[in-house]
Amino acid sequence: MNKNMRILVVDDFSTMRRIVKNLLADLGFTNTAEAEDGGAAFTMLKQGGFDFVVTDWNMPGTTGIELLRMIRADDKLKTLPVLMVTAEAKREQIIEAAQAGVNGYIIKPFTAATLKEKLDKIFERLGSAA
Amino acid sequence: MSDPARNADIAAHLRAALAAIGHADDATLKAELKAIVDWQEAPLMQGLTKLSQQLGEALGELPHVDAAVGELPDACARLDHVVAMTEQATNRTLDLVEDSQKLMEKLLVPSADHDALLRALRGNLSEMALAQSYQDLTGQIIKKVAGIVRGVHDQLTAMGLPPTGGAARKPEHDPLAGSGPAIAGVDRPAASQSDADDLLSDLGL
Repeated sequence: MNKNMRILVVDDFSTMRRIVKNLLADLGFTNTAEAEDGGAAFTMLKQGGFDFVVTDWNMPGTTGIELLRMIRADDKLKTLPVLMVTAEAKREQIIEAAQAGVNGYIIKPFTAATLKEKLDKIFERLGSAA
Repeated sequence: MSDPARNADIAAHLRAALAAIGHADDATLKAELKAIVDWQEAPLMQGLTKLSQQLGEALGELPHVDAAVGELPDACARLDHVVAMTEQATNRTLDLVEDSQKLMEKLLVPSADHDALLRALRGNLSEMALAQSYQDLTGQIIKKVAGIVRGVHDQLTAMGLPPTGGAARKPEHDPLAGSGPAIAGVDRPAASQSDADDLLSDLGL
């Protein structure tokens, strides 16, 4: 996988964005940017240049699930991989995210190993699909 | 209202009314009929008086609830403070982690002053431990707020205001709107990471 890929980290808590960025950096992904809700994220994504999105679900303004749907409905962005990292852990929510086209789902609190495992799995699938 | 004295009294009024009709004495007839109506309405008036007394007493008790409810803005301010404190502590810890990562990179250089770097790392570790003291302080604040909320709940329950237990306890809001972490014993049990993995793999993900 390309360690230089540009990753957008979306979470309303700055500390969680920082933690995710740190973990990504530890895995070798240092080309990251942050957004504090789905709306801000979508504006940044529309400007182009991003290869991957890590997003929370529950945010004021545009939520993560809404952001996911906006990405999948956008001609230019629809193939962008999206990893949901969220405290939302109801069965129907996980199913909803899957149906909306999420590429991975991590439940908070999570470990560095889980993040690595999900990233590896997503890129493995994308690699075999390409 | 079946005591004999009352019955005799009303019978007397009825006879007097009949006599007044016989004598075409309108004034007496009106007076006798009024006495009968008053007799009939007395229990109703007594009931209304009692009800209004009870209502007055109940309203008199309301200021106690106001006192408890009055603490709610205070509780909110305390919780805001908890959010600020936890954010500050997390940022402090992350600062120290990032600084330590840089120190570790420097340790890998053979010509570096290893003693000084190790001292700095040791210092960072104890600073990180110290930064966790927020838990004691926020814990105390949260316990205090929980006490305020319990107090309000108890007072409302004593007034019979909130539905207690049963199906009316909690409206199940749109699960897709997002509701934050599920708390064991309060919320519906949440899926674990492995539950989520199984579910997603069933869905072909």
